[in-house]
Amino acid sequence: MTLSSSATADHIYATGLRNQWHAVVPSHHVAPGAMRKVTALGEQWLLFRRSDGVLSMLADRCPHRGAPLSLGKHLGDRVACWYHGVEVEPDGTVSSVPGLPGCGLEGKKLVTSLPVREVAGAILAYFGDEEHPEPVELTLPEPLTDPEVDAFLCYAEWNAPWRYAVENLLDPMHGAFLHHESHTMSDGDTTAKFRIRETARGYFFEKTDQRGVNFDWVELCRTGVDWVDLSIPYPPSAGPGGPFGIVGMVCPVDERRSGVFFWRYRRVADWQRASWRFLYRTVIEQRHWDVLEQDRVMLEAMPADADQRENLYQHDLGVVRLRRLYRAAAEAQSAAGA
Amino acid sequence: MTDTWPRLDVHQSRTHEPTPYEYKLAATLEEVFTREGHELADVVRGLNTRQVHAADGAPWTEESFRAEMNRLGA
Repeated sequence: MTLSSSATADHIYATGLRNQWHAVVPSHHVAPGAMRKVTALGEQWLLFRRSDGVLSMLADRCPHRGAPLSLGKHLGDRVACWYHGVEVEPDGTVSSVPGLPGCGLEGKKLVTSLPVREVAGAILAYFGDEEHPEPVELTLPEPLTDPEVDAFLCYAEWNAPWRYAVENLLDPMHGAFLHHESHTMSDGDTTAKFRIRETARGYFFEKTDQRGVNFDWVELCRTGVDWVDLSIPYPPSAGPGGPFGIVGMVCPVDERRSGVFFWRYRRVADWQRASWRFLYRTVIEQRHWDVLEQDRVMLEAMPADADQRENLYQHDLGVVRLRRLYRAAAEAQSAAGA
Repeated sequence: MTDTWPRLDVHQSRTHEPTPYEYKLAATLEEVFTREGHELADVVRGLNTRQVHAADGAPWTEESFRAEMNRLGA
């Protein structure tokens, strides 16, 4: 097994919480009949898709000598390690040891295989540790399952720790400054008072004195997968349908890198939906990307010890709450395996 | 599919590079939404006033505009 329950709290905090679902990569990164090496939670994995579309996720480690299975051959319904030809099924069972038929490895489930789900164009996987191999219940973000909501996924890879990417989302006030030069966040006050409002699945961090003008609120949701929901007004040029929302998830790739998933969504129907989709593809997606790049430039430039030498103020309550929550979870997961 | 890090793709929703016609229609549509409002009748009138017509050169009707948006926004 690759996700050890004896990991230290610091390691878990740095590489992502175990025993929950995380988004890994977009679905189209693994074509039918293809396989792809990915890094997530600081470990190496192999995404393997049969030609009929069925996806599996294996630890990228041959049970024989530890060679990466991702260098091996896709055999249709299993993978063969390049080093000695050991064949592994999508569920992690060794089906054949060509060099020594009848070898004791055959028939044994020796490779970690993670439960996977494909959701709104993204691959989600359950990263349980040795003590918690069975997946926790997964409740998907409503904007991604509501048929009256239309969404586009934007995926990007950042050289920034996963927590910085999540903290950025729990810090709405940066919208009025970092994104002041943007098509959606130039309006509104540059001062604000915030409050935390607890919910059954997480908490809101929201302005008390402004709504519907800038990036004015965000909800952290912990529903088996961690995600945020937020809303940002569109200018009149984007046409009917009101504001656009963002469902955000962050994949902890390793201690220094993140995959970010942003579903830009809008509650629209009929010709309004079609015109939004047309405008999004033709002109709006580029503008959203330009905004996202502002986040990337800032987060990638943050010093490694940024969160060790801070002077926080009231706008940072959402970040403080987040860190406390994640730190406590990392401590608990570490202690459980001790 | 390469696994080169990092992947930073601006356009992830497009199936093709927009044609000049599509760019012009999008830009005009944004102007119409801004100046004329969001009602379908106003949008159709706004496009026709600006003489930004359908690909076949005909003035827009509500039906033809709906059909074209459904095609371009499918």
